[in-house]
Amino acid sequence: MPDTADVLCLESLHVHFPIQGRLFDRLRGRPAGAVRAVDGIDLNIGRGEIVALVGESGSGKTTVGRVITKLAQPTGGRMLFDGRDMTSVQGSSALRPYRHRVQMIFQDAYQALNPRHTVFDIVAEPLRSLRLVEDGKQLAERVGEALASAGLNPPGDFFARFPHELSGGQRQRVVIAGALAVRPELIVADEPVSMLDVSIRAQILQVLVDLRAKHNMALLFITHDLPLAWLIADRIAVLYLGKLVEIGSADEVTFNPRHPYTVALRNATPQIGGNVGRAELPALQGEVPSAARVPKGCRFHPRCPVAFDRCREEEPPPVEVGSGHTAACWLAT
Amino acid sequence: MTGSSQDKAWLLEVNGLSVDYGLKGVSSRAIESVSFALRAGEAVGLVGESGSGKTTTAMAIAGLLSPNARVSSGDVRYRGNRLPIDDDAAMRPHRWSETSVVFQGAMNALNPVHRIIKQIAEPCMLKLGMSRGEATTRARELLELVGIPADRGTAYPHELSGGMRQRVMIAMALACRPSIVIGDEPTTALDVITQAQILKLLGELRSQLNLALILITHDLSIVAEACDRVMIMYAGRIVEDGTVAEIFARPKHPYTRLLIDSIPNPANGKKVIRPIPGDPPNLVIRPSGCAFHPRCPSVMGVCGTEVPSLYKLGQGRVACHMYESSQKDKVAAHA
Amino acid sequence: MSESTVRYSPRGRAGAIKGFLRRFLGYGGAQVGLVCLMFFLIVAAVPGILVGPLQTAINATGDFLVPPSSQHLLGTDEVGRDVLNLVVHGARISLTIALLATVISLVLGTTIGMTAGYYGGRADVWLMRLTDFFFVMPSFVLALVITPVVLEVMGRGGEILGLRPSLFVIIVVIGMTSWAFVARIVRSQTLSLKERTFIDRARIAGSSNLSIMVRHLLPNLVPQIGANGALVVAGAIYVETSLSFLGLGDPLQPSWGTLLSLAQRAGAASAGAWWCLGAPGVCVLMVSLSFVLIGNALDDTFNPRRRVIP
Repeated sequence: MPDTADVLCLESLHVHFPIQGRLFDRLRGRPAGAVRAVDGIDLNIGRGEIVALVGESGSGKTTVGRVITKLAQPTGGRMLFDGRDMTSVQGSSALRPYRHRVQMIFQDAYQALNPRHTVFDIVAEPLRSLRLVEDGKQLAERVGEALASAGLNPPGDFFARFPHELSGGQRQRVVIAGALAVRPELIVADEPVSMLDVSIRAQILQVLVDLRAKHNMALLFITHDLPLAWLIADRIAVLYLGKLVEIGSADEVTFNPRHPYTVALRNATPQIGGNVGRAELPALQGEVPSAARVPKGCRFHPRCPVAFDRCREEEPPPVEVGSGHTAACWLAT
Repeated sequence: MTGSSQDKAWLLEVNGLSVDYGLKGVSSRAIESVSFALRAGEAVGLVGESGSGKTTTAMAIAGLLSPNARVSSGDVRYRGNRLPIDDDAAMRPHRWSETSVVFQGAMNALNPVHRIIKQIAEPCMLKLGMSRGEATTRARELLELVGIPADRGTAYPHELSGGMRQRVMIAMALACRPSIVIGDEPTTALDVITQAQILKLLGELRSQLNLALILITHDLSIVAEACDRVMIMYAGRIVEDGTVAEIFARPKHPYTRLLIDSIPNPANGKKVIRPIPGDPPNLVIRPSGCAFHPRCPSVMGVCGTEVPSLYKLGQGRVACHMYESSQKDKVAAHA
Repeated sequence: MSESTVRYSPRGRAGAIKGFLRRFLGYGGAQVGLVCLMFFLIVAAVPGILVGPLQTAINATGDFLVPPSSQHLLGTDEVGRDVLNLVVHGARISLTIALLATVISLVLGTTIGMTAGYYGGRADVWLMRLTDFFFVMPSFVLALVITPVVLEVMGRGGEILGLRPSLFVIIVVIGMTSWAFVARIVRSQTLSLKERTFIDRARIAGSSNLSIMVRHLLPNLVPQIGANGALVVAGAIYVETSLSFLGLGDPLQPSWGTLLSLAQRAGAASAGAWWCLGAPGVCVLMVSLSFVLIGNALDDTFNPRRRVIP
């Protein structure tokens, strides 16, 4: 359960990517606009808490993960880690203490592993770069320990292997071991199981959940799959077009969604044995608009089956609809 | 093997089909004695993990096997007639006009420099011998059929969203009025809401045009939504076959049961992660006996040595030694 | 937990190299190129043993412009030197110049291309403009410009690595005019590698930019650098020949180009002494052809799109 202090705090986080205008516009100094990938997000993650960030492609969920892991720079807002402002810290040496505490797991494990490095080198890389070990013996111990926690046993068998000699599940375990090796406090997992075979997914989820139990590690689990988020997370945050539309405990968001988009997501998710309370709302039409042209008012209104006049004019603020459960919808007030 | 004459009711029959892939001189079996049959208008889900042979099965039916694949036994019959599935040229009149395929990556399958209406009209002209004008009219009809305003036909593929492109792919598949459509993971690259839209569209088209649908997917929950029947494949064999209602309520094969259990399901309210131990099988080195036995929780001595055959059990079929004793009369499943 | 039902053969770096060699040698072009190159490398390694010391006008052994005979297999030139002797010694000079120039070209090209591609932005723009500048720079003009500088530094009689000043000029000139080609290829490859997730992972693992470039990018660039390096050598041989032909070579260390130039000036063509021009000419052709063949075979081996994917 979360401690009193949050490990990570995002305050009004914005990431806008400028659009390269045409030559003519650039010569006249006319701004060509921006892709509002992340457009004002407030999110906090407690110590040892698992938060799921749910959204479709284009919702900005991956960008949020990249900001937290310092692969992308926010254009507005603040990011506090353990109470310290990390928003403008940059450069590999300045970030070293932060990298020690925040790690990442990727969607495509094959892409995330350098094909020319052995498993040992891959897992040892953060330990070497962050100077966390004194000698080779200690390094081998830490690498072995990380591989074992990620479920690769016996670890020694994997040291000299190359990524292409592993199965898909084993590759993802190597990625996890690389993140674990430094014993971080927060891991950002970007769709860590979506490319794995169904029977392997649960194995990887089990590894992630065990980490929290053993090391009180917090996890930001980025996914498009609402039932999966429900299974693994304590809290679920639903992202639409760069903004959080709903956030609350996993059960609340799944069984008692208050934002029409969350309802639509839940209804659209195919389920074995039928949905809970399906067909409360008609199915959504169309697709997520481009983040370069965010609709006025509530950004969901052009697709919302229950939108009314106010939605087209004013953007709804997040409102408390239950304990720790907020939704940004005029109907929720 | 039963004669084809008495099975006119079947639209498609697959009898003991085995396909090998030759790779650098090593031959490996992709599917092994796969048998099933399909009625007109029926929707069947073909579910399996990577290497289960689900795609090979479907591609064999469409006559789209890769050049290094070889049909080593069995045949595929369409309305009682044997299909020349390993002869690309001989399959050409059949493909698209009787059996067509909707592929996964719509962006790769569409030509980026032609307007979509032209790409839909093309097969109509080539296959149905329509004039340009007729074909364009047909293409406009098809666009409307899949829920795209006909005027959008002048768009290029990159101007459409992923869901729209997938609709175009479906329109192309329907161009020559086939009676079987094979969907090869048609919604995998799409978002949840778009996926629901496409599945709904496929369902509507199915009842409207009396299409038989073979849906290849790794996702059981999609099958639960869109199909009447489901066949679970593991390591190149069908391990269980039954109606959707039956399989999800009472799965028989341990693999099916574990697979269903491993899917998060808020509806049953149980937040437990139940992993299936082990790795999916590799095609080249296949476990002896039942391919699932190294991962099976109810493994018995016989499982490691003998391959269970696919028995008729109740309404469906299952390939597991557990049910062998209870099943005195070993009826060949396909009879 | 028994993680793998499949036993993977433990195949390390040695196995990977063996697999590479098998694929590489499967190309007919690679075999021809390698055999041909080996022949010239052996010739270049021990010219003294094969044909004795380099002949000059003073220790020439034959008559003027004798056609090929049993005594002079490739005939003699206008001062009576044995053409075979000259060509064999020329091989050493030509290959040394070409290989050293290629090293310069690859080091410069890789460093600049990788830096431009990895950092992007303004570094990219400026470095690529610099590359464009060298791309269009004519080697002959550059040679004229730097010759006085090199002579000033080395002195007319000095030697660097056993090479006389004018040859050193040629090496530097070829190195400086051919790296732009390498830089462009390395940059475009870097741009695509940079988007791969393992670079993100390395950054999250706390690796510095230098370490990412050396430990992650460079090993993945080696195939491209190798394949194009072979083509750069082929080009370098040609440029060396033409520069020497134009008179930039050194008569005391004659390369094939110098031989061609001397034969031309002596009027070998009009005198019908085809052996004087033909022998070094064919050598130039064969060596560059073998490097091109090897380069293409390397490219085919490394380029996954051309490999048959099951």
